[in-house]
Amino acid sequence: MEAGQLTESAEPALFERVAERFRESPPLAAAAVIFGIFVLLVIFEGIQPVMQTGLNGLSLGAIYALGAVGLTLVYGILKLTNFAHGDFLTFGAYMAYLINVTWGAPLIVGVFWAMLATAILALLLERVMWGPMRRNNAGFLQLILMSIGLAFVLRAVIQWFWGTEVRQLDVDNTSTVEFLGLRIGETELIVVVVGIVVLSVVGVMLRYTLLGKRMRALSDDIDLAETAGIDTRKIIFYTWVFSGALAGLAGVLAGATTNLRPELGFELLLPIFAAVILGGIGDAFGALAAGLVLGVVTEWSTLVIDARWKVAVGFAVLVIVLIIRPQGIFGKAKTI
Amino acid sequence: MIDPLLAVSFEAFTQPGFWIGVGVIAGIYTLLALGLQLNVGFTGIVNFGQAAFMAVGAYTMAILVIKAGFSFWLALPASVLITIGFGMIVGLPALRLRADYFAIATIALAEVVRLTAQNARDLTGGNQGLSCSDDDAGLCYFNEWRDVSDSINSFIESTIWSDPEQLFPLLLVTWAVVLIATVGLTYVTNTPWGRVLRAVREDEDAALALGKNALRYKLQSLAISATLGAIGGFFFALNLAAIYPVNFEPQVTFFAFSVLILGGLANYKGVAFGAVLFWFVLEGTRFLDLPDPPFTETRIAALRLAITGMLLILLMAFRPQGLFGKKEEMVLGE
Amino acid sequence: MNDGLLRVDGVYQRFGGIRAVNGATFDVAPQSITALIGPNGAGKTTLFNVVTGFYKGDSGVVRFDGDNVFRKSPNAIANRGMVRTFQITKALAAMPVIDNMMLAAPDQPGERFVNLFIRPAAVRSREKEVREEAMEMLEVFNLTKLSDSYAGTLSGGQRKLLELARALMAKPKLLLLDEPMAGINPTLGKRLLDHMQRLRKEEGVTFLFIEHDMEVVMNHADKVVVMAEGKVIASGDPENVRNDKKVIDAYLGGEAHETKAKT
Repeated sequence: MEAGQLTESAEPALFERVAERFRESPPLAAAAVIFGIFVLLVIFEGIQPVMQTGLNGLSLGAIYALGAVGLTLVYGILKLTNFAHGDFLTFGAYMAYLINVTWGAPLIVGVFWAMLATAILALLLERVMWGPMRRNNAGFLQLILMSIGLAFVLRAVIQWFWGTEVRQLDVDNTSTVEFLGLRIGETELIVVVVGIVVLSVVGVMLRYTLLGKRMRALSDDIDLAETAGIDTRKIIFYTWVFSGALAGLAGVLAGATTNLRPELGFELLLPIFAAVILGGIGDAFGALAAGLVLGVVTEWSTLVIDARWKVAVGFAVLVIVLIIRPQGIFGKAKTI
Repeated sequence: MIDPLLAVSFEAFTQPGFWIGVGVIAGIYTLLALGLQLNVGFTGIVNFGQAAFMAVGAYTMAILVIKAGFSFWLALPASVLITIGFGMIVGLPALRLRADYFAIATIALAEVVRLTAQNARDLTGGNQGLSCSDDDAGLCYFNEWRDVSDSINSFIESTIWSDPEQLFPLLLVTWAVVLIATVGLTYVTNTPWGRVLRAVREDEDAALALGKNALRYKLQSLAISATLGAIGGFFFALNLAAIYPVNFEPQVTFFAFSVLILGGLANYKGVAFGAVLFWFVLEGTRFLDLPDPPFTETRIAALRLAITGMLLILLMAFRPQGLFGKKEEMVLGE
Repeated sequence: MNDGLLRVDGVYQRFGGIRAVNGATFDVAPQSITALIGPNGAGKTTLFNVVTGFYKGDSGVVRFDGDNVFRKSPNAIANRGMVRTFQITKALAAMPVIDNMMLAAPDQPGERFVNLFIRPAAVRSREKEVREEAMEMLEVFNLTKLSDSYAGTLSGGQRKLLELARALMAKPKLLLLDEPMAGINPTLGKRLLDHMQRLRKEEGVTFLFIEHDMEVVMNHADKVVVMAEGKVIASGDPENVRNDKKVIDAYLGGEAHETKAKT
């Protein structure tokens, strides 16, 4: 008999088989956990409140997902922990404000302008800051502190031009839509729809186009991709375009459903980081799913805890994920 | 609320009072940044949660005095121990994470602490702040300090300065602690213990392979930083008449990092210099007679934020070792 | 029968879906020089990592000096006397050479924080001792004049020597070297090998090293262990191993054939 041979039991118990299946597939385990929470909530709170808060959560989740996809791409492809990403959201929101309120144009124009302007801002920063720093082999600490400095500067610029008072976009925040016994604000519904549409488009792009495939390859290993002859400059260009545009959109949606203030983006940054890490850094699909889930779970939490602690849910999830499984639900185990 | 970080009442715009207030803030930030120096510059852990240690220290002290009837002098060491305990509970799981995850985790932690302070109103007074007991308006956390401070001032009045500012004793005490901390940290860094710390900073696996328990050293580094953070929190609480959650926003930690980088990584003496330079320049802008349109209060605050941001960006881009850092000891890269 | 200083028994280590180490079993006799060879991807470094605690193996037994050290922390294993070096040298570049050396010495009261304040004299005297030992060791490896230079300024070969010298400061019973000859010139390589032989004879240090250079292996190893696809496929005398069909197959026209041609 060979020493150390793994003994195999004749009939592994059902529980062990299920546990093994979950261990092999973390997404399955996560889905099971969420389903479990759903069931528990329905039992204790009733189906209507759960579905209602879940719907509200989709609106929040769409914003998280849009922010997270952009952040995770930059994190994965450019290895940059971009603490200024939240301020991209804020920037987008205020750009929309410029068009929508200051100029009086319809919000849709504001949205397009916000996405364009934020994308341009992102590209500008890549040209002026990130690109040169990468070429100089800047270390992790340098980059992260620079991103924090950038966050300060962006917030300062916004504060300079628009002050600290709370502003509103020109949207109808009162009318609601009802269906299936659920009620959702008209604006929130639009956020959900727009968010899901855009995310689907981005998802399709990443999955099926050559650009998308290359971006995902780069996200896995930028050195490998370079030796494979992929034109990294073009990828980097599109990474920032997506990161900026999606962030700008997320900012407008956030501003539309709440209000505009200079801290808007930074307040969303940590839940967005949570979604990025939960979905696995660099995994855009993971970030997408995690963002939506996080939004839903955050709103669900209001059924059991006081609403003012709602914000803490994102942080709690982040901490739990970092302790249990830092590579996220979809990430691969770390190799030395 | 324009600048909740600076606690100088505006009527005390007379030169000495104002600058003494700035000196206190600079001293507090020196303490915070000394802890960060140990963490970042000498252990390689990116602690973005320093504001959390401040908050835990300050609130615990105030709560112990106001709600649990502790004497102020007992509440101080007790709060330090509680803050260290808090740091250990957080550090044990968090320090196993790689550097960027640890940074994110510590910011999240700091925000959780701040949110708790904001929402646990019964305990912390929430956004209204915490200063005195609800039952006994005379029982405030700073009472015993004020007595000592007044005695110090009477002494000074009769010897060096005939009209000492109210904050002067706090200034003296703060900088005395800064001196002790700087000397202590410098000593401790040049010992075998400090050597292990530096090895952990540079390459944890190499340290492990030589038998050093890297996690233990990182925890110790965090504990010391938590202590300095808590003490900074105490001085902060004494500088103001109340403690507010807004005083412990991430901005505070990032300002402390700006001070750290300005003074330079991997050296302790530069930290004080960086803090003084940073705050005196920043606060000096109050005296610039900037015309109101376009320079409103909000805009000047924005300007200060922009200056700090640009400082971080430019330093990291062009002089990452700061004013006094040693280029050879820069382990900023991967 | 626990003859070996190190006994590896049925170790498994999985990454994702791949079994990088797929049931490795061998042992290392005390005061021997054992070579661990095998084609690329055989799992040699992974095995090193499991044995020294850097990876938590899935299952198996690792007995060092009588104790089971499987899945123990890397620093605990190092403290028991099993010290390793790395494929890419980990000379601590931002520290001077002498600090690198002094770091490795065992039993330093100054490494405990409390002792800095309650036993300063003991700290100081041991520090002095360690410094003297470090300088002596540097002398042996001809690195004395570099003692105050930052390790980052050393050449590749000097760093390899530093890493070996530093590992020796830890007074190991078993030294695991991961490709010690890689990237250094033959003269330096010969010096390293001479040191190994001397240390084995004079200090009783046991060596286990991963190596690709067959000549080195043939001429300096007492015993050769061959790994392929995560398993140990042969072990024993260098001559016997070289002629083992399984080993030749594993290399498939690689170094094994070259060595055959050379003789």
